[in-house]
Amino acid sequence: MTAHTHHHVHEHELSKTDPRVKLLAAKIKKENHKPDALIEILHTAQNAFGYLPKEVLVYIAHELKLPPSRVFSTVTFYHFFSLKSKGEHTCLVCTGTACYVKGAQALLNKIESQFALKPGQVTTDNKLGVAVARCIGACGLAPAVVIDNEVQGKVTADDLINSINGKIATI
Amino acid sequence: MNKIPVIIDDKNFEVDPHKTILEVCREHDIEILTMCHLKGLTDIGACRLCLVEVEGINKLLSACTTKVAANMVIKTQTERIKKYQRITTELFFAERNHVCAVCVSNGKCELQNLGYKVELDRIRYPHLFPQCEVDTSHPWYVMDHNRCIMCTRCVRACNEVEGAHNWDVMNRGHQVRIISDFNTPWGESTTCTSCGKCLHACPTGAIWPKAIVQGQLEKNPGMVNELVERRKMKL
Repeated sequence: MTAHTHHHVHEHELSKTDPRVKLLAAKIKKENHKPDALIEILHTAQNAFGYLPKEVLVYIAHELKLPPSRVFSTVTFYHFFSLKSKGEHTCLVCTGTACYVKGAQALLNKIESQFALKPGQVTTDNKLGVAVARCIGACGLAPAVVIDNEVQGKVTADDLINSINGKIATI
Repeated sequence: MNKIPVIIDDKNFEVDPHKTILEVCREHDIEILTMCHLKGLTDIGACRLCLVEVEGINKLLSACTTKVAANMVIKTQTERIKKYQRITTELFFAERNHVCAVCVSNGKCELQNLGYKVELDRIRYPHLFPQCEVDTSHPWYVMDHNRCIMCTRCVRACNEVEGAHNWDVMNRGHQVRIISDFNTPWGESTTCTSCGKCLHACPTGAIWPKAIVQGQLEKNPGMVNELVERRKMKL
């Protein structure tokens, strides 16, 4: 899990002193600015920034000498890449059959009442994002959630809220 | 180069081995329906209209991307092929918002002509009626996504012939859209040279010049291949 930072990406240009930009620049250099390395470089960028801001895509397209539309096409083709911030902390609620039966909906309801978030949304301060997954393959742990890439099983609504609040409080 | 024998619709032909089934059929006036094929551009086998039957192969093959082989037995007019051509055409119409009566391409549209060709009298699939944008930001041209069939001829003309690569495709499935740059309005594109090749490559009324009225669109898709051929000429 890459550490998320608090820097907000500015509208138009990337700061050369931003450690995330340095990381990205190093990766591009390592790949010799090869256009074929687009996907690997996008992975690095998304890991560093948590998502792919437009400024980052502009930078990558420029550095790899790729047409902007080619970069955008690749980013939107793969579900893994995201153009929107998923939040500094993420809570993924499994809604597969087992978790559904074991009360995934109650978890989502609790999140909605506590944080005013529906699946796919991010809080206005960008602290927390909530998503759902069809099945994360942890049916024995139903209902399961993934908080910041950490699986938690057999959670109750109150456990979940406590865990999320704990994560948000850490940074 | 030595010619190879093939049988197309029960007739014998001697053909060049490096050619595609589509090229061979076109040379011999055997009709193959196409939509994503445009002479001069790379074939991608996307529209599935040019499907043919080849003896010994169970699945249908796209004529534009399959090369002929010695003693190949090809059928282009079977009931099975006609059925799929009909389905494909119906899906084109069901996927976006095609309203011929108010379209600039009315009467000169490849999609409309295809409809006549397969004798389309109704569409058996529910229309998706997607919300599509009409991008009028370019000073001379309009991109109407309602009329786009995602053949990507504009994308290939822009990339392969003009070399600008303004266009590409975003998303996947029924959410695919043609985009310029980072899904930027066409008029704000940093790569478009306003050459107009995409407009001529487009088989429908999806890309058209401003200042023309309904049904008055004149396109010249052949210009793409003319350019490609002229560039091959040695001076």
